[in-house]
Amino acid sequence: MENSIILNPEKITADLYPKKFGKAGKIWTVILIAVCAIGLFAYIRQLNKGLVVTNMRDYVSWGIYISNFVFFVAISLVGSLITAIFRLANVEWSTPLTRIAEIIAVSAIVFASIIIIVDMGRPERFMNLFIYGRLQSPIIWDVVVISTYFFISLLLLYLPLMPDLKILNQDPSKNSRFLNHLYRIGGSFWKGTKEQLKINNKAVTTLCIIIIPVAFCIHTVTSWLFATTYRPGWDSTNFGAYFVSGAFLVGAGGVITAMYVFRKAYHLDKYITDLHFEKMGRIVVMLALLYLYFNVNEYLVPAFKMKKPEEEHLKELFTGSFAPMFWFAILVGMIIPIFILIFKRGRRPLPMFIAGVMIMVGAWFKRYLIVTPTLLHPFLPMHDVPESYKHYFPSWEEWAIAAGSLAGALLIMTFFVRIYPIIPIHETINEKNEMAEKK
Amino acid sequence: MKWLKKNRNIFVFLPLLVPTMASGQDSVEKTPTLSLKYFSSDQNIPYILVQSRYKVGRKFEPVKGVTVLFYLDSVAPSTKITDKATTNEFGEAIAALPPALKNTWDASDKHKFIAEAFGNNEFDGLEADIEINKAKLSLDTSSADGVKTVSVTVTQLENGKWEPVKAVELRIGIQRMESILKIGEEDTYTTDSAGKVNTEFKINNLPGDKKGNLVLVASVEDNDQLGNLKVEKTVPWGVAENPVNNFNERSLFATRGKSPAWLLFMAYGIIGIVWGTLIYLIFQIFKIRKLGTETSS
Amino acid sequence: MNNQNTSRRDFLLTGLMAGLAAGCSDKKDPFTAAAEQETVASGEKVKLLSVDGEVVEVDKAFLKPVPETQHIFNKEARRGIPGKKFVMVIDLSRCKNLKKCQQACNHMHHLPSGFNWLKIYPMQEASHTAPYWQPTLCMHCDNPPCVKVCPVDATFKREDGLVLIDNDRCIGCRFCMAACPYNSRVFNWGDPELPADIAAQKYSPETSVPQKKGTVGKCDFCPDMTRRGMLPHCVSACPNGVYFFGDMNEDTVTNGSETFRFSDLIRDKAGYRLMDDLGTKPSVYYLPPVNRNFPFEEGVKMEEEMQAEKNKSSK
Repeated sequence: MENSIILNPEKITADLYPKKFGKAGKIWTVILIAVCAIGLFAYIRQLNKGLVVTNMRDYVSWGIYISNFVFFVAISLVGSLITAIFRLANVEWSTPLTRIAEIIAVSAIVFASIIIIVDMGRPERFMNLFIYGRLQSPIIWDVVVISTYFFISLLLLYLPLMPDLKILNQDPSKNSRFLNHLYRIGGSFWKGTKEQLKINNKAVTTLCIIIIPVAFCIHTVTSWLFATTYRPGWDSTNFGAYFVSGAFLVGAGGVITAMYVFRKAYHLDKYITDLHFEKMGRIVVMLALLYLYFNVNEYLVPAFKMKKPEEEHLKELFTGSFAPMFWFAILVGMIIPIFILIFKRGRRPLPMFIAGVMIMVGAWFKRYLIVTPTLLHPFLPMHDVPESYKHYFPSWEEWAIAAGSLAGALLIMTFFVRIYPIIPIHETINEKNEMAEKK
Repeated sequence: MKWLKKNRNIFVFLPLLVPTMASGQDSVEKTPTLSLKYFSSDQNIPYILVQSRYKVGRKFEPVKGVTVLFYLDSVAPSTKITDKATTNEFGEAIAALPPALKNTWDASDKHKFIAEAFGNNEFDGLEADIEINKAKLSLDTSSADGVKTVSVTVTQLENGKWEPVKAVELRIGIQRMESILKIGEEDTYTTDSAGKVNTEFKINNLPGDKKGNLVLVASVEDNDQLGNLKVEKTVPWGVAENPVNNFNERSLFATRGKSPAWLLFMAYGIIGIVWGTLIYLIFQIFKIRKLGTETSS
Repeated sequence: MNNQNTSRRDFLLTGLMAGLAAGCSDKKDPFTAAAEQETVASGEKVKLLSVDGEVVEVDKAFLKPVPETQHIFNKEARRGIPGKKFVMVIDLSRCKNLKKCQQACNHMHHLPSGFNWLKIYPMQEASHTAPYWQPTLCMHCDNPPCVKVCPVDATFKREDGLVLIDNDRCIGCRFCMAACPYNSRVFNWGDPELPADIAAQKYSPETSVPQKKGTVGKCDFCPDMTRRGMLPHCVSACPNGVYFFGDMNEDTVTNGSETFRFSDLIRDKAGYRLMDDLGTKPSVYYLPPVNRNFPFEEGVKMEEEMQAEKNKSSK
């Protein structure tokens, strides 16, 4: 590590110990709660009046709820990338990022499930999925893999947390009563014996192996919700890989954004170093190029043939009414970040933060473009329906609920950071010790 | 107005039924009408059908819930056919002759049926009648040298004797689910001086029932003198039809209990492996827990 | 039309009578038509006079103009009418966009305004080909993409080929709508405006009434009518005889006034199915718009008039 400042365990613990919200933290939390409350209010309206409060209609039967769902599922994939793939590949520098990635994964998957319930016309019949579930339907596959992934992510968050809970349990006077209670439930039994460590390590490794195929499954199955239909723009054999690559990109974008924010907010410069940004930057460039490659596949090949049902859809995207958003998503979501991060100067924290935000915004609009334009280009012309059915622009309720869900995911992360150390204390101490020994 | 209240839906939805006329609806007059038809079923059981309808322009709209009394020959308590009948959603009600009217029925070749509506504001007092001559339809088939022939005879009662009727228009066909399929080129046939129609059955390879049976139908429709007559006969002139149905097979579009075997195998295989591992890991957590509590005690 | 009605009635009843009326033993198994089997004998007998003045005992159901609608239990409604395979033929050369079919359908299924299960599209394959009117309803596919994706068996394929919806089970995920390439499904985004007594009815997949908030609806081929020996509403409403309906196992279709052998009709008029290349195997066949009864423009006029009417009424 380039930081040559000697860090003793007490200093590390003090630096990484969960801290009370400052003024900015409080404002941030209040804003998030307010946005969530507005979203909740909009949802209550929707519950009372039905989905009619949205601007979805028979043609655009899936709107921003579904694109938001796809976005959440996508971003949650990063948990498997940073934690699992890096761990199995012995990427040592990733240690401080694992918990960030994992909490992003957990909060995103929670809100993916919530938003899909929001999209249901009859949410009170949710249990029908379990009572009458039909294995032939990709939705059931999605229910199964998402709940599995959620469970694995939780375990992957919890198991590495055990040693840290011991640290948190050491001095009850430092914590509020509620937190002490929470820490005791989770980790009072962790003594850090060799045997415990061994089991824990083995369990984490097993999880890391199993989470990779499951992560691929969740996003592939999500892509199949579209690819198993006949519609232009969705009817593609490429969709699983296309979605998974896009998911890694947006997840990595989410991680670099979060890295920057946590580093700033909690002064973690010594733990999330410039080196981390440098390495993540390279990875993001690679992932963006990979996603760009799949985009070229996904649009160039049908555009070359211009089959009749695809024609109108593609023209609308390339030069028609969706063109500004389409090119925005391509440029801002992929090309500009590549150009920023390809240069060494671009891989410094602030430019990377900007690139990360761009990637996420681009990715959100990209999901919108995957869902909606296709539905506006059905095989048979739009006819015999009220005029309002032929367009789609989300209603305020939809925006409020979508914003509320994003705020909700951020809120989970915010509270998590307040309660648990966002950077693994125990592992960091261990690593520093090992390094010291090597020297 | 009682039934009006009960059936207000009809009125609520009338504008929907004829939206193109909606604007001018008030100006179009609705005339209540009552009409009668005579039928003789396949078993030669006579019955009459009354229709209560509104005449709107040149169209008829059925009216539900009109109560009608039926009489034979003359309106009198002794010639009453039924106590009362109420028209259904299609504005129709039927009545058949009770055994009590046997003497009246047997007394003549010709009879008059009378229907009288009562108890409804608009239809109250409306009357309809129809006069018919007792008649029968019979159907015979023969098959020789591969030529299948159908012959239908129309007879009517004249002075107590069944006599052939000529120049009666009738239809011959095969009974299908909701229609009658012609057996030749002609839409209708006309009886000759012997009251007969002979025609060739020209349809080949038509699916019948499981044994290959078809139901031949001959009918006289809306004849001024004879009313509506009908006769049926089952003939083995079709192809045995045993429809194969893949309804119970396992498929992607079958019900939940009928998932394809490969899907079940794959899905439960994957779920089993993944959740098996996860459950094992949960036991590991408990093991860690146990180790921790043991050392402390 | 009335004769059709009554002849159908007789047909339904003969099956019943065959077993019951005295002296008719030669007609034990008159026909496999399920409609007969469905006609429930009331069990009560009445004595009636025959033309010859003999007293004959028949079932009381004889005195009903049409068999009464019976309650079809959900299990039965999910299974279908045994021995049937429903099919529709739409003759494009006869359609002039009158929309009587649509009005009848909307009326009989109590669809709120703006909802159409049956749509009539102005179609033109390419810039130099002739335009025509194409009525489109649920295709009742034999490889139904909508049923494949339903997570809860709310939409299902029946033995008689129909694809129906159980809106007491539908969770409103709208996957089926995305899956249907014909866009024949509509969604009840809000509470459907229904008269109180219609809304209070118990839903049956066979009547598709009443529609409910947050669930999907679509054309059901009117199996409730078929059970009573009558044609679907769109078929009987069309004055131009565009729609032919029937049972594939009987190889017969009818539009009420004309009856054809299905195989002859499809062969002679070169019938085809919509987007057959997708492999959905629709149960609706189309006859190409050749030798048309009406010029396309008449339908355009019709469309404009209806639009004007709508605008007027909305003002």
